[in-house]
Amino acid sequence: MNPRVAVLVFPGTNSEDETVRALRAVRLDAELVHWSQPEALHGFEAFVLPGGFAYEDRIRAGAVAAHDALMDRVIDAAQDGKFVLGICNGAQILAEAGLVPGTGPLRRPTAAFAPNASGHYQSQHVFVRLAVAPERVPILGGIEPGEVIPAWASHGDGRLAAPAHELARIAAAHLAFVYCDRAGRPVDAHNGSALNCAGLVNADGNVLAIMPHPERDAWTFQHLDADPHAVRAGAAEALAPSGGIAFFECFARAVLAEAVI
Amino acid sequence: MIRTFAVTLTIPDNEAFTAYETLARLGIPVARVTRADVWQFEVDASERGLERTVASIETIHNPNKHRLTERDVHGPAPGEIWIAPLDDAPATTVAGRTLPGVRAVRRRTAWRLLDDTGRDVAPEHLDHAVETFLCNPAFQVALR
Repeated sequence: MNPRVAVLVFPGTNSEDETVRALRAVRLDAELVHWSQPEALHGFEAFVLPGGFAYEDRIRAGAVAAHDALMDRVIDAAQDGKFVLGICNGAQILAEAGLVPGTGPLRRPTAAFAPNASGHYQSQHVFVRLAVAPERVPILGGIEPGEVIPAWASHGDGRLAAPAHELARIAAAHLAFVYCDRAGRPVDAHNGSALNCAGLVNADGNVLAIMPHPERDAWTFQHLDADPHAVRAGAAEALAPSGGIAFFECFARAVLAEAVI
Repeated sequence: MIRTFAVTLTIPDNEAFTAYETLARLGIPVARVTRADVWQFEVDASERGLERTVASIETIHNPNKHRLTERDVHGPAPGEIWIAPLDDAPATTVAGRTLPGVRAVRRRTAWRLLDDTGRDVAPEHLDHAVETFLCNPAFQVALR
């Protein structure tokens, strides 16, 4: 029996199926839990908030979902030490809920994934590099120092914004991932994100918010350099997990190590 | 000189209704929420025809669902709160268009919270709504 992981679905979430697929590929028993069934959010070892546009990004990206009844249980679980991962819109929700960077009261955000500097939605392939020591992110068990993860950035609101004193605290302890090139060298964030931030982690390292989507570059056919002929032919190697799946393998190692099954 | 326009929906405002539902969940005694997009233009004194230009830009005003009103006062009305970007850097274009005679453009969201008698909620409730939901101080500021 594999650990159960809840994948939360709010109205407007759109990446739940890819996220479930990636989690199941790394031996986690991922299940969708919809906003209308908060009572179903019991017995899970970990929680994943996938990408999309929860509540159409009304008021602000992530702001409405952060106050949803479903999040009451996720916040409780995070405070109990359960692993909580937010991807893209999920990352925005975690920031609005105050779970990352987690330097203020709950639901009183001290940072935000704010509108991109360009003022519009951007979609592009990126690489992100672990910017903290691996022991700071127990949610990613066994991740290597400085590990580079390929992903697709796909957001209109991914620019880390915070007051200067808060940015200093983030830089010191909460900056989980930064944008980089394939070799791990820093590159300027496409969205103008402060500190080149692509991801934030809380103080205990059990809540992680990452803006780009590793689940959208988790199979060989999704890579930028995928062989289109092999993809069309349905070759086994083209359908194999690779690239961003490493991110989920680390997450699964952490969940499996903590799971009470 | 500054000219200020408010754009409201003539059809049901889903965003305002979502805000109402969340504010009610937060325990704020609100019966109705209204919202307007506020556009402020820094213009040359000689500028003419701005209203017609603004009305023709669908990013701002779609006549099938919006009402465009020019305001004489260039700040929040009593009982109203404006949410603006903290850096407040003005744009020089709208939807990729440079507007003749316009030097800078700023956009805000105006919120008004009404109780079940149709009056503005008490200031402490408005403050609570701003602090807990309407404004993220990491990148926004509430103007009163």
